Amino acid sequence: MNEGLVVFVRSIIAFFSLLIFTRIIGKEQISQLTFFDYVLGISIGSIAASLTTDLSSGAWPHWVGLLTWAVLGYLMELITMKWRYAAKYLEGEPTIVIMNGKIMESALKKLKYRVSDILALLRNQGVFDVNQVDFAIIEPNGQISILKKPEYQINKDMNIQVPPSGISTELIYDGIIIDENSRQLNKDRAWLMDQLRKHKIKDPSEVFLATLNPAGDIYIDKYDDQIIKVTDIGDYKGPY
Amino acid sequence: MRRFMVIAIPIFTLVLFIFIMLSGYFLKNTQVENYDIPKQIQIIEKYINNEEWEEVSKETKKLEEIWQKIVARVQFSSERDEINAFTISLAILRGAIKAKDRSSALIELYEALEHWKDLGK
Repeated sequence: MNEGLVVFVRSIIAFFSLLIFTRIIGKEQISQLTFFDYVLGISIGSIAASLTTDLSSGAWPHWVGLLTWAVLGYLMELITMKWRYAAKYLEGEPTIVIMNGKIMESALKKLKYRVSDILALLRNQGVFDVNQVDFAIIEPNGQISILKKPEYQINKDMNIQVPPSGISTELIYDGIIIDENSRQLNKDRAWLMDQLRKHKIKDPSEVFLATLNPAGDIYIDKYDDQIIKVTDIGDYKGPY
Repeated sequence: MRRFMVIAIPIFTLVLFIFIMLSGYFLKNTQVENYDIPKQIQIIEKYINNEEWEEVSKETKKLEEIWQKIVARVQFSSERDEINAFTISLAILRGAIKAKDRSSALIELYEALEHWKDLGK
């Protein structure tokens, strides 16, 4: 048995099978993939790799595995495309994580996101101060979409100058004061407590996140957001 | 025509791949110079039972030659382990023939036959 030759032929089979199957499955860009699509891609790739190099079993069972995963992936895509009810369950839906400038802690908990993840996603979108954000939505592919507060939406035609805000620093994270950050900004606890009192907050443990930007604007998000009606933008019929 | 090619080429490619992957089952049963493996095993068994060791040795050599040709055909569709197991069975059979050990020779011959049956299954 010429193992090199066999691996060569099986590589050709795996390569072009994978090419054909992925072309059939869909044309989504990597950035648009949901987590399940990502896992599906890895699994199919892994099966193709075993098809190529695992000579201890024949090529056929591996190829059947590859075909089955590809067919199931295609079926899922077909179902989610034709049936929105199933799409809500299979692909998830957009979730509002910041609403009217307030962080929605329950939504974060459901998504298994930490607030630091949200701040990182905001920074990826060029927003370094959470104070600027009116609405933020986590899309099913894990990316964040942002609607800035009107005063931070630059309208070039109107030639309005927006004051620079800089990078904001966390002062309170999950109810705990971060003294090191306060010190870096030359602020002390007394100043912070004074700011909290101005926002009718008696204790730092009521605060989910507090940040301060170099311009001196403080952003405070309480655990109790007092939002009566939470907008659900993916509010179509689904299993939940 | 272009649309036909776009659909036909992938289908043709997949069918070709399926044929290559399943070809072992058919190719292992093809004859090499009018001989095939089960037939050759039968001949060897007959000579072993009669303890005609010269004939057994000659026919086993022929079996090895046939096997080498068959391996070249079925290697793309068969399991490496079964191919190796058959080759090892042949080596043990050679040793049993040299020792003129009838029972060992028959045991290995039947093991080889079993590996042959499982090849490309």
